[in-house]
Amino acid sequence: MYKIFVLLKQVPKSQNLQIDKNSGTLIRKNIETIINPDDLNGLELGLTIKEQYGGEVTAISMGPLQAKAALREALAMGVDHAILICDPQFAHSDTLQTTLVLKETFNKIKEYDIIITGRETSDSSTGQVPFQLSEALDIPLITDIFSFELENNIFLCQRNFGHESQNIKVNLPVLIRIGKHFNEPRHIPLLGIKKAFDKKIEIFNYECFDCPEYIDGCNKSPTQVVSIEKFYPKRKNEFLNGTITDKTQEVIEIMKDHGIERIYTGKEE
Amino acid sequence: MKDLNQYRDVWVFVEIKDHVMVHPCALEILGKARELADDLNQNLVAIMLALDAEQYLPVIKEHGVDKIIYLSHLDLKHYHERIFTKIVYKLVKKYKPSIFLFPSTEAGNALSARVAYRCRTGLVNNVLNLELDTERGDLLLTDKPAYGGDIKVKIICPNTRPQMCTITPGTFKKKPVKKSNIELIKEEYSFDKDKLKIKIIGAPTRKDKPSATLSDAKFVIGGGAGLVSEENFNKIFKLAKYTNGQVGGTRRPIFNEWMPEHLQIGISGETIKPNLYLAFGISGAIQHVAGITDSDTIMAVNTDPNAPIFRAADYCIIGDANEIIDGLVKYYKIEE
Repeated sequence: MYKIFVLLKQVPKSQNLQIDKNSGTLIRKNIETIINPDDLNGLELGLTIKEQYGGEVTAISMGPLQAKAALREALAMGVDHAILICDPQFAHSDTLQTTLVLKETFNKIKEYDIIITGRETSDSSTGQVPFQLSEALDIPLITDIFSFELENNIFLCQRNFGHESQNIKVNLPVLIRIGKHFNEPRHIPLLGIKKAFDKKIEIFNYECFDCPEYIDGCNKSPTQVVSIEKFYPKRKNEFLNGTITDKTQEVIEIMKDHGIERIYTGKEE
Repeated sequence: MKDLNQYRDVWVFVEIKDHVMVHPCALEILGKARELADDLNQNLVAIMLALDAEQYLPVIKEHGVDKIIYLSHLDLKHYHERIFTKIVYKLVKKYKPSIFLFPSTEAGNALSARVAYRCRTGLVNNVLNLELDTERGDLLLTDKPAYGGDIKVKIICPNTRPQMCTITPGTFKKKPVKKSNIELIKEEYSFDKDKLKIKIIGAPTRKDKPSATLSDAKFVIGGGAGLVSEENFNKIFKLAKYTNGQVGGTRRPIFNEWMPEHLQIGISGETIKPNLYLAFGISGAIQHVAGITDSDTIMAVNTDPNAPIFRAADYCIIGDANEIIDGLVKYYKIEE
């Protein structure tokens, strides 16, 4: 019975995020949210390990109460348990503060064999938490695996590391960071949606931890955001009209303007 | 609170690439770091861990450093997370740098995150620019893209040291300059390898990642889910062949095995900066768009008039990309 944990984050889906001009912060009202894309691959890996080797999968997220929706989706995909780490004290945590809170979380959970994370989140794109959690829990982090086996609490896998492909062996517990290309996340089964609403999402708040006073997302995050601004791509956005032939001709003209010419002089195969 | 004034100097982690050369990105960072060090009136220090490290010293000396702190040992031939983290953290504790910059590479990202955790300090990754915030007592002010490049955030690290960043290759320019009296400090290496938890079984096989020509290409043709089939996708490879272009794409063509993984453009793939980028059947998810914003001209073809790719494009065509591609292949093909 392997105890498998998948970390996931709820992120904004919108591609057209707006900034509040007065406060200089992101307008979060009415933003559509999704599970961070990489984390779906993490959930898929967790569920695959459970199906092949037995165990229980717990999805963990840290965020506001709205993040329950992301955990609900993970439950619908098939995970057994869900934990939301949620407290005003954790708000505005940067990666270091997030790692410290996750460390407290796993100290409280005590028994864990496999912790799975995505590569990075699509909102802040730091990619730091997997490395820092490996430091915090003092367990090895394996990145870029392309095949694996589990045998008597030993994780055997092949991974790419630098310009080498290695066969490695590591005792559990282990932290695995999964990339987008390892697997394809499953679709949510209809029955899963019903089951998801019967399950309870456990809340971990500040009081749950023997929290040392160094945890304070707002005041003790070492990095502080000074300003945030919309990054406007300066593009013409000119729509070309006409028939397909006209449009193709326009593309050819633009290609010519950029010095692109036919160069292949051999015979067509 | 620690006395922050005892932290001085600008450090750059000079990564050795494939144990044969100084990583070009490290030299680019040295160029920018020299400016910061001059403004702060502090030293610019290169940190290097390698096998036969002495061979790399001449190159580093040409890039404006005041000091090089290095270790040389067989165990340092490849980046190793436990070994490198321990050594670099020890150096930070011993010498107390104020600023510590890393190349944003596989090793640089991993090492900087681990060292930042041990120092309980802040780390800003993939910064676009670095400057000193004179209003806030010469704090390092970093610019970082977020939300797939849609948003730019300015970040400081006011209360902890070192102030750490990673920098994407190509962000800054090398500025070769040689200072006189460069100080060399060779630190002793020691590490107990019995403590390592990851065991490598058998000899590793060399797996060179295909050299990325995408990032330097002048003309890039991108394909996405809208090309529908492998047969259609092959047509853009043909078009690229006729026009001396390079093919790239989104995540979907990789899943469908229409193209290999190293041709992915975007946050988790390559960043391109061609004169012209043609995006065929690409919806324009932010993960992809973030990798194309440096292109001079972008032209997009998509059936969906609301596809976000159009917001990122100079020329927009609503229509079936496959029909346009057919027309182009017909035009550029050599008549027999």
